[in-house]
Amino acid sequence: MLFDTTQLVVALLWIAGAFALAIALIPLLGTLPPRGRFALISFVTFIAGLFFAAEFFLPVGEDNKNILTDPFQKMQGSLQVITALSLGLGTYGLVRLHLRNAVQRRPQWGYSLVLLVAFVVMAFFSIWNTMAEKGLFGIERTQLLENAFTLLFDYTLIQLDATMFSLIAFYIFSAAYRAFRIRSIEASILMFTAMLVMIGIVPLGKLISDSIGLPAVQTAEMRTNPFMLENILYNLRLPQIAGWIQETLNAPVQRAIEFGVGIGALAMAIRLWLSLERGIN
Amino acid sequence: MDWLNEFLPTSTERLNVWIGVICTFAIYSILYRENPFYRFFEHMYIGLAAGYALGPYLVDVLYRYWWEPIRTEGAWGLVFVVPFGMYLYFIYSERYGWISRIVIGALIGAYSGLAFQMFSSRYLPQLHGALTKPLWFPPNATGEIFLSNIFNNWIFLIILISVMVYFTFSFEHRGAVKRTAILGRWFLMIGLGAMFGNTVMARMALLIGRVYYLLDSWLMMRVGGG
Amino acid sequence: MEARSIWERMMRIDRRILYVILAVNIIAALMARVAIEPDVPPPVKRFYDTVEALQPGDMVMVSSTWSAGTLAENQPQFEAVLKHLMRKRVRFTIISFAPPARDISHRLARRIAEENGYVEGKDWAHFGYTPDIIIAIKGMSEDIVQTIRQDVRRVPIADLEVMRGVKSLKDYKLVVDVTPSDTLGNWISYRPPDLKILYCPTSVMAAEAYTFLDSGQILGMITGAKGAYEYERLLGIVGLGTRFINAIQFSHVLIIFFILLGNFGMLMQRRASAS
Repeated sequence: MLFDTTQLVVALLWIAGAFALAIALIPLLGTLPPRGRFALISFVTFIAGLFFAAEFFLPVGEDNKNILTDPFQKMQGSLQVITALSLGLGTYGLVRLHLRNAVQRRPQWGYSLVLLVAFVVMAFFSIWNTMAEKGLFGIERTQLLENAFTLLFDYTLIQLDATMFSLIAFYIFSAAYRAFRIRSIEASILMFTAMLVMIGIVPLGKLISDSIGLPAVQTAEMRTNPFMLENILYNLRLPQIAGWIQETLNAPVQRAIEFGVGIGALAMAIRLWLSLERGIN
Repeated sequence: MDWLNEFLPTSTERLNVWIGVICTFAIYSILYRENPFYRFFEHMYIGLAAGYALGPYLVDVLYRYWWEPIRTEGAWGLVFVVPFGMYLYFIYSERYGWISRIVIGALIGAYSGLAFQMFSSRYLPQLHGALTKPLWFPPNATGEIFLSNIFNNWIFLIILISVMVYFTFSFEHRGAVKRTAILGRWFLMIGLGAMFGNTVMARMALLIGRVYYLLDSWLMMRVGGG
Repeated sequence: MEARSIWERMMRIDRRILYVILAVNIIAALMARVAIEPDVPPPVKRFYDTVEALQPGDMVMVSSTWSAGTLAENQPQFEAVLKHLMRKRVRFTIISFAPPARDISHRLARRIAEENGYVEGKDWAHFGYTPDIIIAIKGMSEDIVQTIRQDVRRVPIADLEVMRGVKSLKDYKLVVDVTPSDTLGNWISYRPPDLKILYCPTSVMAAEAYTFLDSGQILGMITGAKGAYEYERLLGIVGLGTRFINAIQFSHVLIIFFILLGNFGMLMQRRASAS
């Protein structure tokens, strides 16, 4: 127990020291001239990129590792923490904005208050729930926690989240009726393809094809004789047409887009790595 | 009468369902018109979503990857991660905002370095797949190749090249290149049509899920296929 | 004021009437309870065959990044996949890269596991939430114990019976990615090269994945709730996909009808204006 307390105190002292160092560095960093700041940021960016690029390019040994594999393993926990802190920026910004609205009584500040209350209540129960799940600090699941978290998560947050996303269906339907107009060849191709795919991918497409007497199964003979009438009729089935559109017509389009995006992404990555993008730094 | 007794919020579970239904109708009220009921639940939703995330961030990430290794394994090097990681929050400071870019730069550098592996693993196999499609019956074919496969491979290649030509802006499209680019644009419309068809299905499914919840969980009706 | 023609009135119809028509269509289709046999497409068949080829004791990673926004599409897929894995007596672990996905997938998996006699820690485990998918996949490709450290209940990975003999992703047979976002690109880019991938996207993401199917980077795919229905038919079970399919297909019929009606109305309106 004493050993545990000593460890805890040592850990807290280390953390306090690290915070003190981080805070002490701020005025020092503030003395850097603009060119020095750019140099520091560019240096950090370059080293971070160099590590991962080298980790990929360096040859591996028989154990499938190179000299950077183990250091990566050791620091990947730190990277997860930094990513979580960066995601927390959004939460911090949101709370900051609405707190300001509420304190300064800006228009519609009442809604900001609702947001903040919901945030605090949910944060409390979410942290409690996660800690109880892990049995941290002896915290146990109580009936209050179970009921409150179930209500807030299962019956409020999930319902609101699902409903928000389902609104789009109404807007798509309304837009399809009011705005989807065939005024050009391109629009005709898009719409015709969309309709074929929409009907072909659902069981109704199969039902329609069966009801007009198209062959339901492709035999080996049909495969080897593609110009056989039965084979042609089989390939006119709506599911077959929809599948062919997606696999033979759509796939190369997506691949072409992938190539364009991929080359662009690599070029942008190199520019960012070498701090050639002025807007970022 | 039994149905009514079961329908009303007379137990905790039924009350929870009713609360879920109220949340659903509150959001759907925007379809009629803008109203304070919708705004209230919209803001509540954002607050709940933001608050919920703190549990996983703090416990699943910070506790698991930072506090526990320091506390139980003596990983003292980790103590610097959070203090220096919090430099990110200087983004909100006018005077010290640039300090946040040190950490942002590190993240951007890391992901840029990872882009090489991404390019090699994600795009090169696709290039290989496109370049090795048999365009005629190979002399020593090991698998079954039919005329339909050959036909589809030719179509694949023609579409791939024409769409790539459409997206190439390094030179002016003239003559044969222009006609190829126009063809590429038409094929692009096919791809977008397929995407639109799938998008419609996705959005409708989300709405159907909500309606199913209302009919099944709230009104306790047996609905749906099967 | 000139009297509006029927076509003009039709084009200017209040959008709220359209919303009601859509809602009525869906309610009617759900209540109809009609079952139509599907034509199972090759990607779904390959998905099923790949899982069917697993042996008892094989290790599978289920990447669950979906949350309540795509519940209706991803939940049927997730449930059907877990039921199939449990039927094959395969070991599996679940990992989430979005905060709400953690609790949603854990609670669902616990319920399905209890129904199928699977014990958490012994037959399956949940690795909790990690924010950075790329770092997690790269780390797990070398050493899962050091990367994940503990499961969602804070049990050390090395102490989990389900993880016996498993050091890294190289010991896994398969990854099943159930997702509404572009996590597939990260799995393809950073996984061990021999690790097979099966994909369960929402329908929005499906069209983009056909290029990966063609190149063999993913072996199979089930697309949204419709794909889940086809998969459930292959499994011989009734799940949410089966419940939703009727309403899905009739909503497609409705939207096609209204697209054509809108264009017909525009044509007639033009003719009326010209005359």
